[in-house]
Amino acid sequence: MFKNYFKTTFRNLWKNKGYSFLNIGGLAIGIACAGLIFLWVEDELTFNHYFSNRDNLYKVKDRQTYDGTTFTFDATPGPFAAGIKSEMPGIKNTARTTWGNSVLFSLDDKTIYQQGLYVDSPFLKMFQLQFVKGNATNAFSQLHSIVVSKKMANNFFGTTNVIGKTLKVDNKDEYIISGVIKDLPENVSFKFDWLSPFKIYEDQNQWLQYWGNNGVVTYVETQPNTNVEQINKKLYGYIQTKQKETNAKMSIYPMNRWRMYDSFENGKEIAGRIKYVNLFSLIAWIILIIACINFMNLSTARSEQRAREVGVRKVLGAGKSKLISQFIGESIFTSVLAAILAVGIIYLSLPAFNSLVEKQLSVNVANPYHIGALLLIALICGLVAGSYPAFYLSSFNPVYVLKGIKIKTGGSAGLIRKGLVVLQFSISVVLIISTIIIYQQITHVKDRELGYNKQNLVYMYMQGKMRQHFNVIKNDLQSTGVIENAALSNSQVLQLGSNTGDFTWEGKDPSKQVLITVEGVSPEYTATMGMHLKDGRNFYPDGKTDSSNVIINESLAKILKKKNVLGTIVTQGNTNYTIVGVVKDFVYNNMYASAAPLILFSDTSNCNVLSIRIKAGAQLPAALSKIEAVIKNDNPGYPFDYSFVDQQFDKLFKTETLIGKLASVFSILAIFISCLGLFGLAAYTAEKRIKEIGIRKVLGASVKGLASLLSKEFLLLVAISCLIAFPVALWMMYDWLNGYAYRVKISWTVFALAGVLALLIALLTVSFQAIKAAIANPVKSLRSE
Amino acid sequence: MIKISDLEKIYRTEEVETVALNKLSFNVKEGEFVAVMGPSGCGKSTLLNILGLLDDPDDGSFLFNGIEVAHFNERKRADLRKRNIGFVFQSFNLIDELTVFENVELPLIYLGVKGDERKQRVEKVLDKMQIMHRRNHYPQQLSGGQQQRVAVARAVVNNPKLILADEPTGNLDSSNGNEVMQLLTELNEQGTTIIMVTHSEHDARYSHRIIRMLDGQTVTENILV
Ligand SMILES: Nc1ncnc2c1ncn2[C@@H]1O[C@H](COP(=O)(O)OP(=O)(O)O)[C@@H](O)[C@H]1O
Ligand SMILES: [Mg+2]
Repeated sequence: MFKNYFKTTFRNLWKNKGYSFLNIGGLAIGIACAGLIFLWVEDELTFNHYFSNRDNLYKVKDRQTYDGTTFTFDATPGPFAAGIKSEMPGIKNTARTTWGNSVLFSLDDKTIYQQGLYVDSPFLKMFQLQFVKGNATNAFSQLHSIVVSKKMANNFFGTTNVIGKTLKVDNKDEYIISGVIKDLPENVSFKFDWLSPFKIYEDQNQWLQYWGNNGVVTYVETQPNTNVEQINKKLYGYIQTKQKETNAKMSIYPMNRWRMYDSFENGKEIAGRIKYVNLFSLIAWIILIIACINFMNLSTARSEQRAREVGVRKVLGAGKSKLISQFIGESIFTSVLAAILAVGIIYLSLPAFNSLVEKQLSVNVANPYHIGALLLIALICGLVAGSYPAFYLSSFNPVYVLKGIKIKTGGSAGLIRKGLVVLQFSISVVLIISTIIIYQQITHVKDRELGYNKQNLVYMYMQGKMRQHFNVIKNDLQSTGVIENAALSNSQVLQLGSNTGDFTWEGKDPSKQVLITVEGVSPEYTATMGMHLKDGRNFYPDGKTDSSNVIINESLAKILKKKNVLGTIVTQGNTNYTIVGVVKDFVYNNMYASAAPLILFSDTSNCNVLSIRIKAGAQLPAALSKIEAVIKNDNPGYPFDYSFVDQQFDKLFKTETLIGKLASVFSILAIFISCLGLFGLAAYTAEKRIKEIGIRKVLGASVKGLASLLSKEFLLLVAISCLIAFPVALWMMYDWLNGYAYRVKISWTVFALAGVLALLIALLTVSFQAIKAAIANPVKSLRSE
Repeated sequence: MIKISDLEKIYRTEEVETVALNKLSFNVKEGEFVAVMGPSGCGKSTLLNILGLLDDPDDGSFLFNGIEVAHFNERKRADLRKRNIGFVFQSFNLIDELTVFENVELPLIYLGVKGDERKQRVEKVLDKMQIMHRRNHYPQQLSGGQQQRVAVARAVVNNPKLILADEPTGNLDSSNGNEVMQLLTELNEQGTTIIMVTHSEHDARYSHRIIRMLDGQTVTENILV
């Protein structure tokens, strides 16, 4: 019996090659598309699974409340790790790390920057790093030791037999290699090529010893099956037992949530990346549904052709349930074929998809999860796509079909078919609109007035004696003729690192702390950045004369609530500063928000960044090589490493850009698959109405009239889809944009554009069939013998 | 009205070449009622399709009211057709999705006749064909004879000068067939030229003249009146 079904299935597919092609092709594209998305989702959901001990690993979170708003940081005090390990039951291990250090290593004449961390030695065991050479127990027995990745070992030595060899760090100290570990995979939270004892870093940064300074990351390994809530309860007031006047509240945050949820608003975890993972999983299923709808529509549309087969089988004794299982079996068979084709499509498109999402995803047909998932998708598609046609076909009355009495397909089946087409196009139109608005939002923010000029602005992290020699460097740069100005600052302008709640001033509500960003700069700073002064003056060229003066931004000026803020004194601890200038608000840290309160100090002692303004209209490559020459001459022994502010700015929109790209790819595919279905349906309708078309032509209908007659019905469906899609898209995009303080206004033109686009594409699709039918010679279709 | 000479039509498929019309010539005068007879496959329908400007001949000449139309393009043929020619088919060829009224209305729509006038004219013809009471029915709800009356109504609603009927009684029983023949005769008496293909000697006797065909050629012509 199976063989018989198999035969009829195959013959049916073969007999209607065109439809089968549309059916299988559409489904295959849908499955491939969903497959790619699920690969991405798998990669995201298995983030950090490299660490088999992940269920017991935590990061310490630090919450501080200012003026009713709670900020959440990863920064902890230096003594915290040791403190909780000895005082808290349930904590097995703790380790502190730095935030990530790009350090210059050299071996003979080879010098390379490598990313790494200073870590406490338990880190090596907590994260079960896999040693190729050496071991976790002894790796840090010496102070200036270093554990390197296989990649880094190979970079310098071309081998991993490197234990005991030394590398020069920052042109000063020699570190001895004490271990080689396997390279970490891409999908983990850490990116490092080397690890060295935290003690090295601690010795250089005395401030780490104080409970009031939060400056390191602390990781915690709990005993298995420890009650984390209990630990967090104890941690809540822990810092205050060491340092009364701080408002930091600590808690530990599980590794399993780092990737998907690590996003906090007012102290509470909000949906982070999981939002996008869920969204794209949903899109994958939606695309599958669109593909399944094609299948349902084409199968029921063609049902008349199969009515005889159903009738004969029924007369010969097949029950309704037998027929239903036959047709569902057929559709599962078809979707398995599609799944096989989809594997091919996935293989071919994976490189392109990988570069799109910037991942290294791979499929593996031997991976039981992948095969299982694929078969499951095929099965679900087969069931979904086959169920409706199966019930529909199997309900034909054999007496009627065998007598040749025409089955009215215009009734409920036709209505359902139309409804499904409307569903497909509604989804497609929602996707088109969303894509356009996402892109609009990205450009809107990118084109935003920043309050400084990000073009032609280069910055670099200073090495060696650059800070001390700044004036010489600046002079030499300016004498090249291509540089307009140069300045020093603590951080690069996109990401200002330090803030404090310590400042007070006359008239300030003493019960409330205001979180203010603080940045030390050289006097050239605002001019170099292209910022505008709103009030008062700049720092004097000799920065020292302004050591107790500050410039604030507009946003802080508003908070001060003074008629004239110039001359106002702000106090930190025992130090008074006089406000001499107000700079117009410029955007920093959060590109979607307005500027947070800020104070600029005339103080270069903590400056790490040199910013250089290249003259407008200068040739960039030439200017860069002149800058390089100056830097190498004035600060020899270090490689020239720089970034453009505008390029770094673009990188801040990685997630949004990725979502924009994915949304556009998937909306194109959704509409393409929908059109495949529409194409088949139009062909079918044209075929079914061929007699009618012939008659109308004989009676004088024009080709144009006939083509529009045939297209009209479909265009009406697409128009209805637009009406359904518009409010849905509006609601969705409104909700999405709500997450951004600085956002684009939704314009009706987007909806008009999407509607026209959908109609045009649908018109193109059906008019091909309609015109083909309309220009056919009616003599053929009306031959009655 | 119609003058064809040396008309040729050859159907070519991959394997065979069928000569459907082989240097066929004859004339039809205005107001005539001509029957075309012959065995199945001799080219009658092909001839009628060419006369009705649905198809073009491969060779020969076809003068319609003195104008050479053999090589008219599709648009010109369609224009000439919808003003001058009505069709009646053996299998009625009514559109199942349209009512009786809407079926009959179609040629007028394509002629660009205004709604009010259309309604008047359609009702007049339906009245004449005695199917007015069925105006809102669908073709499947009618008997064969009624369907053919609707088809005839549709053929004459735009007052064509020429009606081409391809076995109009072929699917009807004799009483229904006679009714249709009666209708055609009446139309002819009112001045419409009619060319009718038929297998029935009985029906042929309603005409003025019988053209007998064999293998794409005329063999004899019998003049009945
Ligand atoms: N579209 C076509 N393609 C190929 N052969 C055709 C076609 N139409 C008609 N014929 C052939 O031309 C001949 C004449 O057909 P037709 O005019 O329909 O005959 P009749 O109406 O007299 O029965 C037949 O042999 C038929 O098979
Ligand atoms: Mg015939």
